[in-house]
Amino acid sequence: MKLKQTITLAATVAGMTSTAFAVEISDADFAALKKQLADLDQKVRILEREREIDTEAATTKSLTAPKLTLGANGFSFSSGDSNFVAQLHGVVQFDNRSFFNDGGTRGNDGFLIRRARPIFSGTIQRDFDYLFMPDFGGNTVQIQDAYLTYRYSPEFQLQAGKFKSPIGLEHLQADPNTLFNERSLATALVPNRDLGLALKGDLLNGVANYTVGVFNGAPDFSGSTTNLSFQDNKAIVGRVFFQPWKNSEVNALRGFGFGAAGSYENDRPATNAVTGLSSGFSTDGQQRFFAYNSGVVADGVHWRFSPQAYYYYGPLGLLAEYVVSDQKISKGVFAKDVQNTAWNITGSWLLTGEEASYGTVNPRHPFDPRNGQWGAFQIVARYASLDVDDGVFAGKIFADPTKSASGASAWSVGLNWYLNKNIRANASFSHTVFDGYTGGKPAVAAQDENVFFTRLQLAF
Amino acid sequence: MKTFFKILLASSLALSSSAKEVKLLNVSYDPTRELYTEYNTAFAKYWKGKTGDDVKISQSHGGSGKQAQSVINGLEADVVTLALAYDIDAIAAQARTLPSDWQKRLPNNSTPYTSTIVFLVRKGNPQGIKDWNDLIKKDVKVVVPNPKTSGGARWAYLAAWAYAADKNNHDETAVREFIKKLYKNVPVLDSGARGSTVTFAQREIGDVLLAWENEAHLVLKEFGADKFEIVTPSLSVLAEPPVAVVDKQAKRHGTTEVAKEYLNYLYSEEGQEIAAKNFYRPRNEAIAKKYAANFSDVKLVTIDGEFGGWAKAQKTHFADGGTFDQVYQQ
Repeated sequence: MKLKQTITLAATVAGMTSTAFAVEISDADFAALKKQLADLDQKVRILEREREIDTEAATTKSLTAPKLTLGANGFSFSSGDSNFVAQLHGVVQFDNRSFFNDGGTRGNDGFLIRRARPIFSGTIQRDFDYLFMPDFGGNTVQIQDAYLTYRYSPEFQLQAGKFKSPIGLEHLQADPNTLFNERSLATALVPNRDLGLALKGDLLNGVANYTVGVFNGAPDFSGSTTNLSFQDNKAIVGRVFFQPWKNSEVNALRGFGFGAAGSYENDRPATNAVTGLSSGFSTDGQQRFFAYNSGVVADGVHWRFSPQAYYYYGPLGLLAEYVVSDQKISKGVFAKDVQNTAWNITGSWLLTGEEASYGTVNPRHPFDPRNGQWGAFQIVARYASLDVDDGVFAGKIFADPTKSASGASAWSVGLNWYLNKNIRANASFSHTVFDGYTGGKPAVAAQDENVFFTRLQLAF
Repeated sequence: MKTFFKILLASSLALSSSAKEVKLLNVSYDPTRELYTEYNTAFAKYWKGKTGDDVKISQSHGGSGKQAQSVINGLEADVVTLALAYDIDAIAAQARTLPSDWQKRLPNNSTPYTSTIVFLVRKGNPQGIKDWNDLIKKDVKVVVPNPKTSGGARWAYLAAWAYAADKNNHDETAVREFIKKLYKNVPVLDSGARGSTVTFAQREIGDVLLAWENEAHLVLKEFGADKFEIVTPSLSVLAEPPVAVVDKQAKRHGTTEVAKEYLNYLYSEEGQEIAAKNFYRPRNEAIAKKYAANFSDVKLVTIDGEFGGWAKAQKTHFADGGTFDQVYQQ
């Protein structure tokens, strides 16, 4: 029996009467049409699948393609697998210091570029990090940091080069994050940047952090650092810091951390030209109120110890540290074991409710006056004190009380305005009183120091 | 003060004796997702019972060659369970994260299970496909992944080559012509076996899928036996997917012990049973017998016997300019 297939096609022409017509086709034609349709269907499916595969391939490729980013965290260029990263960051601080009732001391007031630091950092071969940070602020160009870190694991990292000696809690806080223009008197007794090798890491998911290293042995804090060594002996420096509740659910305790740091070295400078001693201790206004007499040198064991803690909860921040620096010194046939001490307690409160931290403050509502946003505001207060061993003044052999004070205590208050994550403006006032000065005027320690600071800071 | 120290000591002891959570990354080839999902649960239970520690195993899947390259490029696999030994050899040679004799460390050349290549066709087998020679017919569309990136595709290519060689008295010109015709019928080259399964089963492209035996069974299970059927060719290849600990990464992560045991346990009765249930041919004879109904009898050639080992096969057929490139680009 011959079967007929009927296909009815309807065509409608707009604005005209519909016309329907029917054609009869053979089995063979129908089969051919069916196959043609099936072939076309396959072709469409293949094209769609090829497009799908191409999209998947493009997505996969994008995961391995180099990435270029520019944002609040600076400029970053990395390979697709992040094994090679080059970053550019920077810090610029434009300050003003105004002294009141300074007893005729000249040349202290004015504007200054406190820091101007391009920061080149990155990663090489996945596990090696580098950082290079020169400073063009002040009157001299210095290399502040230049180091290479090998990251074996979060627990074990080896760092070599020039970097902050791991003792002072306030000193270890990144420069853009310190609450006042200048660090406190307690920082005067810890070493600044030093050259050496350190093993460091986070244990128990960051609950404990340690650093232990061998360094050239920097004197008590000195603003200008060296890239050389002036002695044969080396300093052993170590620090442990615990945040027991860092990963806990207890919010009120999560931001509590405490620890201790110390150093030990048999300090013997090679020449008298380099004393191995601090060039002196300075006030918040960076005026020197104490210096050893000419010819006094480090001459034996120098150790430091610093218990330290911080606490951050909501908008509240507290930081405290105590430092003792014990050093044998000599001048000619005279020798003495000198023990200087200092401490600092700092508090802060973010008026706009942001979370306080040891790191960066992120304003909830970055500065945008057109939309009624003004950034974050923080009030800060600090009290710090430094006590020089009275023994150094005996017989005016090591220090002269008519030229130096035997101690200083300072209170400071201020207001910090974080316009956004990168720009900050702040103003503060510091009042410093001195102890033991018997000399005349004009001199830094002859009267209390009253200084008003302002700063405009860019950090990215 | 004494009480304080007692509490401190007790806390320290409690902390040191508490269970650890160990993390392991298994970088595997495309169709093993289901196998290792089931196996990982079983192993975690076994490891917890043995050591008290929790082990959390992450899986990564893709074309075997691509996965090997990712490990070479730094993907931190504790163990690799790939489609063929050549891919692990490449890791040993290029990344040097495990020794070159890695295959001697576990029984059966470090292959705890085997598989082979079969045909998956649409229900009713509309094209009447019974053996390899049916795949080169003009109207047949064959779905198979790219041998450059997929381990399964390399096994399939070699199985086809072995069949053609057998039928043509090892006349290489005739074999090449056969392979050329076969790949002329391939409309889409996916990068991995799972991608080809999607092409064939979900996107409904092609008449036959050259698939891992376990993958073909999985399609029947997932899509229903009323939609597809398995055709076993007269000859195929004994595919031996190997496993190995990536020593340097495991050492770096502190997971060497658990990684070794993870692979050893694949040879245990439970491990072999899980492999068989997921349609991999187990090495354990008793379990192979128990699941014999799942696996068809087929003449299987071996990579060593037919092709002189993976190093030679890779160089001859899949390296740049090899036979695959030659026939595919014509």
